[in-house]
Amino acid sequence: MAQVMKNQGKVLPDDDSADLREIGFRSLDFSELALRVEDETGDELNFDAPGLRQIATVGDVLDFLLQLQSE
Amino acid sequence: MSDAAVIPPSTVVLVSGGSRGLGLAIVSGLLADGLKVAAFARTVTPELRELAVKYEGRLHIGSVDITDAAACNAFVREAEERLGPIDGLVNNAAIGQDSLHVHTSVDQIEKIVNTNLTAPLVLTRLVLRRMLAKGLKGRLVNVTSICAQRGYSGLVAYSATKGGLDSATRTIARELNGRVLANSVAPGFFASEMSAVLGQTQLDQITRRTPTGHLTDPDDVVPVIRMLLCENTNINGQVIEVDGGASI
Repeated sequence: MAQVMKNQGKVLPDDDSADLREIGFRSLDFSELALRVEDETGDELNFDAPGLRQIATVGDVLDFLLQLQSE
Repeated sequence: MSDAAVIPPSTVVLVSGGSRGLGLAIVSGLLADGLKVAAFARTVTPELRELAVKYEGRLHIGSVDITDAAACNAFVREAEERLGPIDGLVNNAAIGQDSLHVHTSVDQIEKIVNTNLTAPLVLTRLVLRRMLAKGLKGRLVNVTSICAQRGYSGLVAYSATKGGLDSATRTIARELNGRVLANSVAPGFFASEMSAVLGQTQLDQITRRTPTGHLTDPDDVVPVIRMLLCENTNINGQVIEVDGGASI
């Protein structure tokens, strides 16, 4: 996640409760992150948009990725 | 315009159906402009092989059926290993039709939809996923047809697939906002290739009704595709018709 933000000249805050809108992390940034995770794990992470819309914080992103990988 | 909003010109372009007709002209034109190109088709023609020799190191070619997702995946990986990350895609591969809808077999309808709509969507998904995974921005050009805008007998399934691709273009432009410029180029009827199935009488009629007085030639279309891939135009989610005004 830090790398995705760094590529855009942004910094990932340490606080897991940081609001994604405030730090400029958009839905396509999540897609980029998910695809990077796919590259690492070798498994496709497909999901519907409603699940993505519920993500609001940095912690939510990490939780959602873990949830996808456990499915 | 902020840097974040600029989608840079494509440098490595994947062209489907690049072995003859418009596809070959696209490949040739992009190479002449200094771009790197990966081109595949079901059959690699001698003309495409000649280009591969002429532009050794800048053109990667292969015999791939666009409906074979695994083969497409393998080709893209090979191409990127040889040329670098793909940041441009031209969905050009398609099969034609020359049959009234009521006399077109269900199998043939499925084949047309699979080749002209499903396969390009799957290939687009593949390329976009690879772009996003690398944090790249890119450009997409779907080659559709004026058939998507106006009705022509004998082309029901074909027209449906081209209209579907135009719709997908608009949605991709919205969905990939800030990452991808997506547009369609909709040529009119060519005097050769798929248009040959229309018959001379129908072609003559179309020619008479075209303000410029001539049917579309691949050389009319290539500059538009090159512009969408290489120029900073801010054109996004559009269908650009290249038909001499036949459809106005």
